[in-house]
This record gives sequence, C-alpha cells and structure tokens, in this order.
Amino acid sequence: MDSTDLSQLQRRVRWAYELGRLRRALLGVAPVLVIVAVAACVAHRPMSTLWFGLATVSVGAAMLWYGRDPQKAVLPGIAAGLVPLVFAMCANHMHTCGADGCSSLCVPACALGGVVAGLAVASVGNQRKAGPWFWVSASALALLTGAMGCACLGYSGVVGLGLGFGAGMVPGLLRRAFGEKST
Amino acid sequence: MRTESNTLDALMARLADGDRAVFARVFELLWGPIHRLCITLLKNDADAADAAQEAMQKILERASDYDKSRPAMPWAMAIADWECRTLARKHVRRREVDDAGHEQSGEHAEDEFVQRNLTAAAIAALGELSEADRETLIATFWDEAASVSGATLRKRRERALDRLKKTFRRLYGLD
Repeated sequence: MDSTDLSQLQRRVRWAYELGRLRRALLGVAPVLVIVAVAACVAHRPMSTLWFGLATVSVGAAMLWYGRDPQKAVLPGIAAGLVPLVFAMCANHMHTCGADGCSSLCVPACALGGVVAGLAVASVGNQRKAGPWFWVSASALALLTGAMGCACLGYSGVVGLGLGFGAGMVPGLLRRAFGEKST
Repeated sequence: MRTESNTLDALMARLADGDRAVFARVFELLWGPIHRLCITLLKNDADAADAAQEAMQKILERASDYDKSRPAMPWAMAIADWECRTLARKHVRRREVDDAGHEQSGEHAEDEFVQRNLTAAAIAALGELSEADRETLIATFWDEAASVSGATLRKRRERALDRLKKTFRRLYGLD
C-alpha cells in the first residue's frame, strides 16, 4: 500500500475509532435515562426535569466520548448529583406550615443537597489529585443531575442548588489550593 | 522488540483513555505486524491487504475496550487473526481457490488454515523462550540427540514445555 492509501486508511480507521467511542458513550449514559424517566414521573414539573435530564444525558455522553479527565468525572458527578435530586424529590411531597401559611421545602432541600454534592465532588477530586477539567466536568454533571429535581419551584431551586454546591466546594478547593502550596 | 511492545501497551492505554494525540503512532506501530500476519496467514497480498484493513478498523474501533493489564500486540493480533479466518472462510464458501492453485475441498483448506495459524502462534510463543528452552523443544520435536540424556533431558523438556505453555497463555490467553 502506498502512503496515500495508508493515509486514507488511517482516516477511515480514525472515524471508526470515534464511532466506537460514541457507541460506548451512549451505552454508558443509558442508565442515566432510567434516572431521568423516574425523576420525570415523580417531579411536579416534568418538563423542566426532562430538559435538565436531556442536558445531563448529552453532556455525560459527550464527556464519555471525549475521554481523559471528563470521562473519569462522569460517575462521581452523577453520583454526587443524585443527592440533591433525591432530596428535592422527597421535599416535593413535604411542606411546613406556619402562621403565614405553608411553604415548600424544595429550596432548602436543594441547597442542602448541593452542599453534600459539592463536598462529595471536592473530596473525590482531592483524593484523585485530579486536574481542573475533572473538577469542572464533575461539577457540571452534579449540578445538571441535581437540577432535574430542583426545578420544583421554578429556577429558585436551581439557584439554591448552585449556591449550596459552591459552598460545599469551598473547603475542598481551599484544601487543594493550600495543599499544593505546601508541597 | 520488548521496548516496542511496552511502548505500544502504553500508547494503547492512552488511546483507550481518549488521548487522540497518540493515534497516528499507534496506527504506525500496529499496521506493519498486522499486515505481515495477514500475509503469512492468507498467502495472498490482495486478500492480506483487505483483511489487514478490516482488522485495523476493528482494532481501533475497540480501542476504548482495551484491557490495560494485558499486552496490546497479542490482543490486536487475535482480532487480525479472526479477520483473516473470516475472510478465508468466505473464500472457502465461495469455492475460491487460493493462488497457490491447490485444488482442495473447502473443509480441507480450512483445516490447513487453522493448522497454519496454530503453528504461527506456537512459533511466536517459542520465540519468547530462552535459547536453552528453545533448543530442548526443537530437539524433542525433530527427535534429535540432545547434549544431555536420560532424567536430565526429561526434566529440561518438562520445564521448557511448562514455560512454553505459560508463554502461550500469556500471549493468547488460552492453552
């Protein structure tokens, strides 16, 4: 085979490699579809849940296809995001009543879930001494997964989740920053 | 040879992780041996080129599934070997006679192909052994007189065979 044939073959093989990765990525995110379906069934606003679910599946598949740090962040990101998702789903069916009337527990549950998710992502990131792309990818997936449940009261739940998540990340980020300085 | 194999293992692991920068180098390292294997097995340049191209496509399509704990070359060779067998089987079914002009029945040709395959694998495994082990086994195979005899020869033969079995298992994952 001459060099032109070989470079054509290399292009074809490269395409096959990318398709192979894509197939594997789609298989990898298939379980997330089950989570999205369950969340949409339980949620009060299924359309928001579905949109966030679609985003989670797409971003997760893209990360798995790309590989490297983002690929390694998929499992910890989704696992961490399940905490605010489950908290919000439970809070959907509870409320507190005071003198002024009743209020939903969705926003506090999302904020609390966000704190736990942030702590979890930071802990895994520090444990693995992961690079910035791991942190960004895991955080994005955790927030998207959590947002499926936190859209319960419009976007205030999602904002609560984001704030909680940011707060949860602070100790881990500080540990990483000062740990790096001391070594 | 060993260094090249280690390099390929490391590059294949990086490719499995999604590091596209090593793609061209992995392609270069695999193409030569795969093409040569297909020529050896199929004894026909055109068929070998077809099978090698198909094999390269399959190997790199499955690159993400590569098990980093195992050597990459035997894994790739196993896929190429399968591709050559498939092509040979297709030819047998179509009653295409190989270019050597053997007019054999389809079943016979396939048997010969499998035998050739096994011989090539055994020779590759033999190449991994030490000079002394190789000599003992070759002398045994050809029924030649060895430099030692009796119990010493038996012991040596036993050990060499054991090492050959282990090497075969390591390379191809089976006995």
